[in-house]
Amino acid sequence: MQRTKRFHLLSAGRTHPGAWWIAGISLALSASLSSNIFVLLGISAVAMLTVKLCRDESPWARSIRFYLVLGLIVVALRVIFRIFFNLADAQSGILLNLPSVEIDLGFGNSLHLLGAVSTLSMNAALLDGLRLAAIILAIGMANSLANPRKLLRATPGALYEIAAAISIAINLAPQLITSLNRVRRSRGLRGSSKGVKAISGIVIPVLEDTIEQSMQLAASMSARGFGRRETHTKSVLITRITTFLALTFIVAGVAMLLISNSTQLVDLSVLIIGFVFAFISFKLSSGRVIRTQYIVLPWRSGDAVLLSLSAAVIMSAFGGLFSR
Amino acid sequence: MNLIISRFSIAIAGLASLLMFTWPLFIKAGEQNETLLAQTIFIVLMPLVLILVLIEFATGDISSKQLALLGVLIALNAVIRLLGAGTAGIETAFFLIILGAFVFGSGFGFILGASSILVSALLTGGIGPWLPFQMMGAALVGLGAGLIPRSGNKWVQNLWLIGYSVLASFVYGGLMTMWNWPYLAGVGTQLSYVPGDALLSNLTRFIQYEIVTGGLVWDLGRAITTSVLILLTGTALIATLRRAATRAGVGREL
Amino acid sequence: MIEIKNLTFSYLNPDGTQKSEVPQLSRVNLEIYPGEFVLVCGPTGSGKSTFLKALNGLAPSFTGGVISGQLLINGIDYLGHEPHSFANLIGYVNQQPEGAFVADTVLDEIVYSAEQLAMPEEQIAIRVNWLSNLLNLEHLLDKSLVNLSGGQQQRVAIAAALISGAKILLLDEPTSALDLDGATEVLAILKKLANEESVTILLAEHRISRVLGSVDSVLVVHGDGSVTKGKPEDQFNDARFAPPIIELGQRLGWKPLAISNAEANKRWIEAPANFEKLGVNQPHDLVLKAEDLVVSFGTVQALKSCSFELFGNQITALMGDNGSGKSSLCWALQGSGTRTSGVVSVLGQDPKELSPQARLSLLAMVPQRAADLLFLQSLADELHESDEYAEVPPGTTASNFQKLAGRIDTSMHPRDLSAGQQLALVLSLQLVKDAPVLILDEPTRGLDYAAKRALAKQLKNLRTTNRSILLATHDIEFVAMVADRVLSLVDGNLVSDESPIDALGAGSSRASQIAEITATPGLITIEQVKQ
Repeated sequence: MQRTKRFHLLSAGRTHPGAWWIAGISLALSASLSSNIFVLLGISAVAMLTVKLCRDESPWARSIRFYLVLGLIVVALRVIFRIFFNLADAQSGILLNLPSVEIDLGFGNSLHLLGAVSTLSMNAALLDGLRLAAIILAIGMANSLANPRKLLRATPGALYEIAAAISIAINLAPQLITSLNRVRRSRGLRGSSKGVKAISGIVIPVLEDTIEQSMQLAASMSARGFGRRETHTKSVLITRITTFLALTFIVAGVAMLLISNSTQLVDLSVLIIGFVFAFISFKLSSGRVIRTQYIVLPWRSGDAVLLSLSAAVIMSAFGGLFSR
Repeated sequence: MNLIISRFSIAIAGLASLLMFTWPLFIKAGEQNETLLAQTIFIVLMPLVLILVLIEFATGDISSKQLALLGVLIALNAVIRLLGAGTAGIETAFFLIILGAFVFGSGFGFILGASSILVSALLTGGIGPWLPFQMMGAALVGLGAGLIPRSGNKWVQNLWLIGYSVLASFVYGGLMTMWNWPYLAGVGTQLSYVPGDALLSNLTRFIQYEIVTGGLVWDLGRAITTSVLILLTGTALIATLRRAATRAGVGREL
Repeated sequence: MIEIKNLTFSYLNPDGTQKSEVPQLSRVNLEIYPGEFVLVCGPTGSGKSTFLKALNGLAPSFTGGVISGQLLINGIDYLGHEPHSFANLIGYVNQQPEGAFVADTVLDEIVYSAEQLAMPEEQIAIRVNWLSNLLNLEHLLDKSLVNLSGGQQQRVAIAAALISGAKILLLDEPTSALDLDGATEVLAILKKLANEESVTILLAEHRISRVLGSVDSVLVVHGDGSVTKGKPEDQFNDARFAPPIIELGQRLGWKPLAISNAEANKRWIEAPANFEKLGVNQPHDLVLKAEDLVVSFGTVQALKSCSFELFGNQITALMGDNGSGKSSLCWALQGSGTRTSGVVSVLGQDPKELSPQARLSLLAMVPQRAADLLFLQSLADELHESDEYAEVPPGTTASNFQKLAGRIDTSMHPRDLSAGQQLALVLSLQLVKDAPVLILDEPTRGLDYAAKRALAKQLKNLRTTNRSILLATHDIEFVAMVADRVLSLVDGNLVSDESPIDALGAGSSRASQIAEITATPGLITIEQVKQ
C-alpha cells in the first residue's frame, strides 16, 4: 500500500497502458541508437527501477523477471560465442590468448574453438549484447506495467473478432482454474484409474464445463447484439482484393530486398506500396464494424508526465547524446 | 471468387513469412548496414503480414460460437502453460493447437496458434520483437494441422497426428532458431551467417549452430511432449470437441 | 407486443432426423401484452428454456434444431433472425450471471450491448444513469464484477439486458444459483420493473411460490409440445411442478386456489384440515463419529471444532447458508478434503488413511456438480468403468442405476442425461460397494419439485438399517420431505441438532412453506395433510 501511495501519479493501475507502451518503445528505440555501454546500462536500470516503483499485484507485473533473465542470457551468449567460436583473425590488441582447438564437424569443414580474443571484438560483443538486453528490458517494462485487458479495449475494428476471442479466453481462464480444482477434488471420489483414464478424467470434465460456459458467454454476447457487421458481398470482395495486393507487393519487396546487392529505392518503394494497400485493407475491414465505444480510457496527468519524459529521451537519442 | 482470392492471399502470406524467417540464407547484400536494415524491416513486416492474414480469416463471418470455442482453447492453452511454467523442455502449447485445428479447420488453427502464443506472452511475459515471429510460426503449425486428412481408424488417425506433431515441432524450432541466429550469434564468428555466401555453406553453418546451441534437443523435447500428449488425450479430446462442434453447429469450415 | 403463431420447434440428431417424435414446442399460439408479468413454468426438461430462447432467436441459433411459424414483435416477424439482429427489442438474462459476463467491471458490462448496437454516446449516458438509479447500482459502477454478491451480479445482468432500450425481458431461472437473500433482492427488482416501468417480463423460475403473488399470468410449457397461458390459479392442474401452496389448495379442494401465503393462511384458519403426525424413524447403530473436526484454509477457519455422530437408518440434513462450511465438512468427512485436526471414524476406520478405491466400501459421496465425475463418451462406458474400478462383478453398477433411474438407453452420452439422471448415475457409481455412509453436497440444484420428489424416494430406499445418509443443503422443502434429523451450521460452528419438526416448524427461521401457511405445530410437509 505504502508503495502505491508514494508513486500514485505513475502507478500501473492509473496510467494509460498506451502511455507505458510508448515509454517502453521510446526507451527501446533510444537503446538501439546508442553505442555507449554506460548509456545502455542506464536505460536498463531505468526500466527495472520504473517497474519496481510503479507495479501493482497483477500477474503480468511479475514478468519483468523473465525479461531480466532473458537479457542476461543474451549478453552472456554473445560474449561466449565470441570467445568460443571467434574467427581468430585479430592481429593486435589481444585480450586473451587461449589455446586453439580444432574439431572436425563432417561436411568437409572444421571448427576452431577458442584461440586469441581481441579487446575490440570483446567490446563489440558486449555492446551488441547489452543493446539487445536494454531493448528487451524496455519492452519488458511496458509489458509488466500495462494492463493487457485495458489495451484489448482499444483494439481497432478490423481485429475486433480476434480481440473478442482473446477477451473470452481471459474471462474463461479463472473459471477454468476453479473448475480444474473442483474436478481434481471430485476425482478423489472415483479414485485415479490407470494411466490414460486418469488424465482424461480431469481434462474431459474441465473441457466440457468450459465449453458449456463459453457457449453461455457466446449466447449472452449474441443476445446483446454482438456480431453486427456489414456483410455486403461487394465490400468484402474489395477488402479481399486489397489484402491480396498488399501481400503480393510485400512478398515482392522482401524478395527484391534479399536479392539486390545494396538497398535500392525501388525495393523500398515496392514495400511502401504494399504498406499502403495493407493500410487501406485494414481501414476497409475496420469500417465494416458498426459500434460505439462508450468508455474511452482517460489520459491523466501521470500519462502526460510519462509521455514528455519519453519524448525527451527520444530527442536526446536522435540528437546523438547517447552515442558518445 | 472470394474464396480463390483468399486462398491465394494466404499462400502468398505463407511464402512472405517463410522468407522473413530464413533471410540469412538468401540475403545477397555485402555491407552490414544493409543486412541490419533488412533485419529491422522484417521486424515491422512480420506483424503486418500476420495481421493481414488474421483479418483475412476473420472477415469470413466468424460467428460468436466459433469465437467462444477459440476462447476455450486459448484459455486452456494459457492455463496449461501457466501450470507447466518452469518445467524445462516441456512445450505444452502445441498439442491443443494441433488438435483444435484438426477438428475445426485451417483458418481456426491459424487464429488459434497466433492467439495462444499472444495470450501466453501477455500473461507470463514474452512480448518483444520475437513475438510476431513466434505467433506466425505457431499459426502456420495450426494452418497445417487443419489439412491433416481424417480417418475412421483411430490408430491411423493418431499416426497422422503424431507424424505431423514431430514434423511441426522440428520445423517450428528450426524457423525460430533461424530467426534468432543473427541476433544471438551476431556476425563475425565461425557459426554466424555470412551475407551473400552460398546457400549451402550458410545452411551448414546454421546446422552447426543448431547442434552447438542444443536447439535440436529442445525441438526433440517439444516433439516428444506433443506426441505423448496427443497419444494420451487425443482420442477423448477430439470426441469432446467434435461433440461441441455439432452441438454448436460449427464444422471444419473456416 | 409479442404474438406467437403456430410456433413449432424440434431438436435434431446429428444425422438431421428429429430427436424425438413429439416436437419440443408444437403449434404454439399465444399473445403477450405490453407490461405483462408472465411466470413460465413446467416440469424439468419440458422446454421452458427452449421456449424463452425461441423468443429471442437463441433457439435454434445456439441450440440447433428447426423452427417454424411466426414470431411477431410489434407486428414484425423475427422468426429465423439471428439474436443480435433484434437485441434492441429483447433483453435476456440467464441462470448464472458470472457465466454470461463479457467485461470485468460493472459499467463496462452494462454498456456492452449499447456499444454493440452503436447507440449514440449521450443516449448511453442517459440510460446508464436511469438504470443505475432504478437498480441501485450507482455505488457499484466502477467495481469489478467478481467482487459482487450473486444478487448484485444478477442486478447488473438485468441492467445490461435493458440498456439497449429493450422493453421485453426474458429471464431463465435467474435466482437458481442464489441464496435466499439474493433471490429476494432480484425478485423485488423484477416486481418494480413490471409495476413502475411497465417492462414486459417473462420469468422462468422454480421458486414459484415466491413470485406467484405478483405475476399477471402463468404460462405452462407442458413437455408434450403444448404451451398454455392463463390466470395463476388455473394453470396448476399438472402436479409435476406444482409448489406446496398449490398442492395444499388442491388437496383441500380450495376454489379458486390460493396463490399468496397470506390468502392461504386465511383459508387454513377458516377450515383447518387434519394431518398425520410425522413418523419417527428409529436410528440404528453408530456408523460415523466425528470429534473436534477443524478445517482451515490458510488463516480462514471454515470449520471450528465440530463433533457429532451419524447413525444407521437415518437421513441427517446439514443446513446452513452459503459459506457456512457445509462443503468443507463433507469433504473433510470423506477423507480427500482438508482436515486440519480432529478425528473421523467410520466403523472404526479413518477414511483419510484409505486409498480412494478402499474408501468406496466405507463412504460414498455425490459432489455439488455430479457431472464432474463423468468423463467417458457413453453411459455404457461409465457403468463398465465403474465395475472395473471397484472390482465388482460386471453389471453391478448398471443394475444399481436401473433401480434408481429406470431403463435408459446406455449408448447415450452422459452429458445428455437430465440433471436428475446424472445424479442417479453418480449415486450408483458411488454406491457400487454398498458403502454404509452416503454424503450428498447440495443435490437439489437445478431439480424441480418432481425431480426432488423422485430423489427423496430414492434416498428413502437407500436408507437401510446399516446405512446413514448425510445431506448438505439449504433447500428447506427438500429437507422437510426426507430428513430424520437436522444439524445447523453457522459460520463453521455446529449450533443445533434437532428433529425436522423443530427445525422447520412454524415460527422457526427456516419454516417450510406449509409450516408458514398453516402455522400449526407439528405440520411441515404437504404429505402429512389428509385429503
